[in-house]
Amino acid sequence: MLAIEFGQDGVVLLAGRLDAAQSPAAQSFLDKVQGIVTLDCNGLEYISSAGLGVLLKTQKRLMASSGKLRLVGLKPHLRDIFTYSGFDQLFEIEPSR
Amino acid sequence: MHAPIPERQLSMRDMEAILRVTRGLAAPFDLATMLGEVVGAAKQVLTAERGSVWLYDAAANELVLEVATGIKPVRVPSGSGLVGASARERAIINVPDCYADPRFDPSVDRASGYRTRCMLTLPLVDHRDDLVGVMQVLNKRDGVFDAYDEVLATALAAQCAVALQRVRMTSALIEGEKMRKALEMAREVQMSTLPSAMPSIPSYDVAALFEPAELTGGDTYDLARLEGERLLVVLGDATGHGIAPALSVTQMQAMLRMAFRLGADVDTAFLQVNNRLAETLADDRFITAFIGVLDPATDALRFHSGGQGPIFIFRAATSTWDRYRPTSFPLGAMPLSVLRPALLTRLLPGDVLVVVSDGIFEYENRAGEQFGEERVKRVFVANRAQPMSDLVAQLQQAVSAFADGSPQEDDMTAVLVKRSDARTARGRFDRTFDSIPGMVDFTAEAFSRLAIDGGLLPSIDLAVEELFTNMVKYAIGSNAPVHLALTAMDGGVELTLIDEDVDAFDVTQAAEVDIDAPIEQRTPGGLGLHLIRRMAESVQYEYAAESRQSRISVRFKATESAAPR
Repeated sequence: MLAIEFGQDGVVLLAGRLDAAQSPAAQSFLDKVQGIVTLDCNGLEYISSAGLGVLLKTQKRLMASSGKLRLVGLKPHLRDIFTYSGFDQLFEIEPSR
Repeated sequence: MHAPIPERQLSMRDMEAILRVTRGLAAPFDLATMLGEVVGAAKQVLTAERGSVWLYDAAANELVLEVATGIKPVRVPSGSGLVGASARERAIINVPDCYADPRFDPSVDRASGYRTRCMLTLPLVDHRDDLVGVMQVLNKRDGVFDAYDEVLATALAAQCAVALQRVRMTSALIEGEKMRKALEMAREVQMSTLPSAMPSIPSYDVAALFEPAELTGGDTYDLARLEGERLLVVLGDATGHGIAPALSVTQMQAMLRMAFRLGADVDTAFLQVNNRLAETLADDRFITAFIGVLDPATDALRFHSGGQGPIFIFRAATSTWDRYRPTSFPLGAMPLSVLRPALLTRLLPGDVLVVVSDGIFEYENRAGEQFGEERVKRVFVANRAQPMSDLVAQLQQAVSAFADGSPQEDDMTAVLVKRSDARTARGRFDRTFDSIPGMVDFTAEAFSRLAIDGGLLPSIDLAVEELFTNMVKYAIGSNAPVHLALTAMDGGVELTLIDEDVDAFDVTQAAEVDIDAPIEQRTPGGLGLHLIRRMAESVQYEYAAESRQSRISVRFKATESAAPR
């Protein structure tokens, strides 16, 4: 299951599993954000290529108007996935606390 | 054959008559019609009252006269009488007054009431100088057969011989074709009784080998899911070759499936099917059959073996074999009113039921030695860690190697049912994204039950999802469920996904993703496979064209942290 919602100060909270089944809902949500958006990934347990695709599409759209995504609180094993896929070069990722 | 050339040449009119007649000989396709045409031509061209054609049967060395439909043909040894003399000497024999000639045999006249006055007998020889038969014409109207008639007859005979030979060869071809079609039909009937796919039973690995002989023997097998997730296991072998045994095992399969569908237990099904078959099969026909029902919930196996055997069960805990002799007579041999109860046994983790037909046990090599029980067991023991589908292939290869060119005389069939080692968990999932949560539960439960390092679970879940979603997205047209297996290994875990009814798509050959490309060039495509390849120890792809089954195996090694490769 996936929970995606706005937290404080316009931060987007992502929790649970961003898998193929949940990606369409996540994309719908993120299609509405603008500018520089912080994604709080402290509760994100799992991401697959479908989830990466959602983030990539959002990033491309935001960058076209000088915006971008910032990922915070990414768990170590998910950090590895960003590294293997080269996505660590595409997104600003803050180390988890 | 050398008749003296007469002073008169063949007249144009006679030439035309022969040609017209022989044109007609080109048409008939069956022997009976052809013979009629030939006799008709002879009578016409030679103005004779009667004619007959004897065909030469080389195999029996006899001359055969078809008298009429429904009446047995007359057969004489090829050297006897006037026909025999003509055939032997390849000479035309002209008898102007039969009753004055000692060579003439009046018994046929006596039987038919006809009086043969004069007779012309000449051999029919084709262009290869082979004897096709002997033609006889009787009683020339207005006189006797003269030298000119001999020339005419010779010209006609040459044409007739070729036409007859052609028809005989065509008939043989047609007979051969009919035989081939009958065998093809027998094969189709036999194959139609087989299951189209191996049923997937959680915690069980099931496979079958089926190699019919060219002249199809009556082997069959069945592996079918019954109510309550039970598994029906059947291996049958009908006596004989060809269409009859193929039909009888079809019958047996149909009756068994019906009986079990109606809720019969193994004893009742066996008894009922046996008695029905005893009524319908010929006295010397029967079907040896293993009929068993496995309940995966209790791992209990109940079975009867009607003359089929030996039945083996490999016991993993002790690495020993249980050997069972048949429990009853073959099916259909005789009606039974009582039956010894079915044998009952329990399969423990790693145990394997091995049922093999005679075509394997009794396969003879050039030295006349049989493949035998020990070799079957040896193949099995040497390869027991492999999936049963691989083991079945190993068995087939072993028999082939043993045969060393010696032909396969009988159908080869084997059925293997293995209770998975405690180290493997298996599941089956419908081909839809909705299955993903179920797969997540499955992997979590399997990790817990098999005590696999939890640090590998996220990688496994990722591999499962990526491979599964590929299957859902790209294997269009298949509705078959996807099978998943997780096997605990030393220091790691192996994941296997099996997809059925699909085209080949080798995931290991998918193009590499350029992870350093700038964002404008990046797409999600291929990322899933890329991640798996980076994270896994190994990825293997296998495709079986016959069953259209693809198998992907991924191994992960447990390390301190999943470091990039």
